[in-house]
Amino acid sequence: MKHTLLALAVMGLAGSQAARAADSLPPNILYDAAREKKTIWPLPVRNSGELKYNEHRQDLSRWPTLSYQDKRDTKRPEKVELQGPLNGNAENGKKIAMNTQRGNCWACHVLPGDPQGGTGGPPLINVGTWGYSDAHLYQQIWDRRVANPATEMPPYGSNGVLSDQDIRDVVAYLQTLK
Amino acid sequence: MKRSTLTLALLTLPLAPALAAEAPYRDMTSYIDYGKSPKASDDAKHTNTYQYWKDNRKIDPEISNSLTDFWKVNWKYRDAPYDDTLHGGHDALERGEEVYKQLNAKGDFAACLGAKKGDLKGLRLTYPRFDKELGGIVGLEARIEHCAARQGMKLENGSYDNTAVSVYVTSFSNGMPLKIDVTREPMKSAFERGKKLFHTKAGWTNFSCATCHVSLVGKGLRGQIPTTHYGDIGHWPTWRSKDELQSLHVRFTECNRNAGVQPLKVGSPEYHDIEVFMTALSNGMPVTVPSQRD
Repeated sequence: MKHTLLALAVMGLAGSQAARAADSLPPNILYDAAREKKTIWPLPVRNSGELKYNEHRQDLSRWPTLSYQDKRDTKRPEKVELQGPLNGNAENGKKIAMNTQRGNCWACHVLPGDPQGGTGGPPLINVGTWGYSDAHLYQQIWDRRVANPATEMPPYGSNGVLSDQDIRDVVAYLQTLK
Repeated sequence: MKRSTLTLALLTLPLAPALAAEAPYRDMTSYIDYGKSPKASDDAKHTNTYQYWKDNRKIDPEISNSLTDFWKVNWKYRDAPYDDTLHGGHDALERGEEVYKQLNAKGDFAACLGAKKGDLKGLRLTYPRFDKELGGIVGLEARIEHCAARQGMKLENGSYDNTAVSVYVTSFSNGMPLKIDVTREPMKSAFERGKKLFHTKAGWTNFSCATCHVSLVGKGLRGQIPTTHYGDIGHWPTWRSKDELQSLHVRFTECNRNAGVQPLKVGSPEYHDIEVFMTALSNGMPVTVPSQRD
């Protein structure tokens, strides 16, 4: 009886360890489990031989890193179908697009009312007149790698950055730009 | 009790290596042609801004003062002798000298860094390099941390004092062109790994270093314009105008965070490989410290 229990315990432990190795965090990242946001960064302190570590505003350890010991796969390109009517809130979509900590679309695209919109991607001033369907725009934001594997645009849906409703809202906003 | 703990350890250990075998899926930014022995002037085939920053005595103020074109001078307009203003990098140089002299009272700190007869001239040009003792590629700052520890002083890689000593040691090579050799092993493989990492996408953005510095170089990203990745290393460590002395690896942690990528520990093998890659892309550019940049 005692032996069976031990064997079970060993099997259970080995199994969970196997699962963890594929999903687990690499050991050489700047990470502090005791802090709320987990991701930390080094700040040199004048005339000191030690670094001070500050918390980043977001837990970045959830996504693949550049560590050689990171065994987690990047999410592969995802083809998605927009389900049902769009039901997007354009006003909310604008807030997401023009928020550096959410969609941050304005980092690369010019949007109306932003004097310093980025030039990394095409200006979206009148994207609502380009004749794209809601479903097309939804896919582009969810994961543009489906249309162009070499794209530099973040896969907002596949990477879990924006939710289904967030993306519906952004699509609704983009369709109002005329 | 003791025996069962041992059994547990024995049974679980052999599982680990099998899991490490396959490389995880990653997207890549396409390579440009780096050749086998890159140098700063190769930028002429890439962003073609080399002409504006190759000589930091002859920076065109019309370009460096332009809001749309200043990225073309690759931050060289704040290097001496073009810019001789005092900044925090000069304080760091003084502090570095003080700490260095304390560490090198008997001359063995310099020897540990690789200086011949205590002469620091040209020493910076020998880094990053393969270090037999430390068993991997090391930059000057990693070696400073190691050699200071030997003297009983903690100079954490990336800390102000470590970086200040690096600025001081580096200053003895001012004006000398960088010249690391990445055509022979083990540096050749380090260069290849660094090149691959520079183009590997990660983070919530799925961005690589090359997303900004190759694909989007010269583009406006809301007030920021990414510069070329050629010719950068000669003026590191640097004084950031936000009032911070930064080593290259500390800068990498900031680059990563700005791009939505989880930063790695300062001195990690990954950052050292990227350092090798970027130093090779700076070959031919003179060492220029103390420097400052945004």
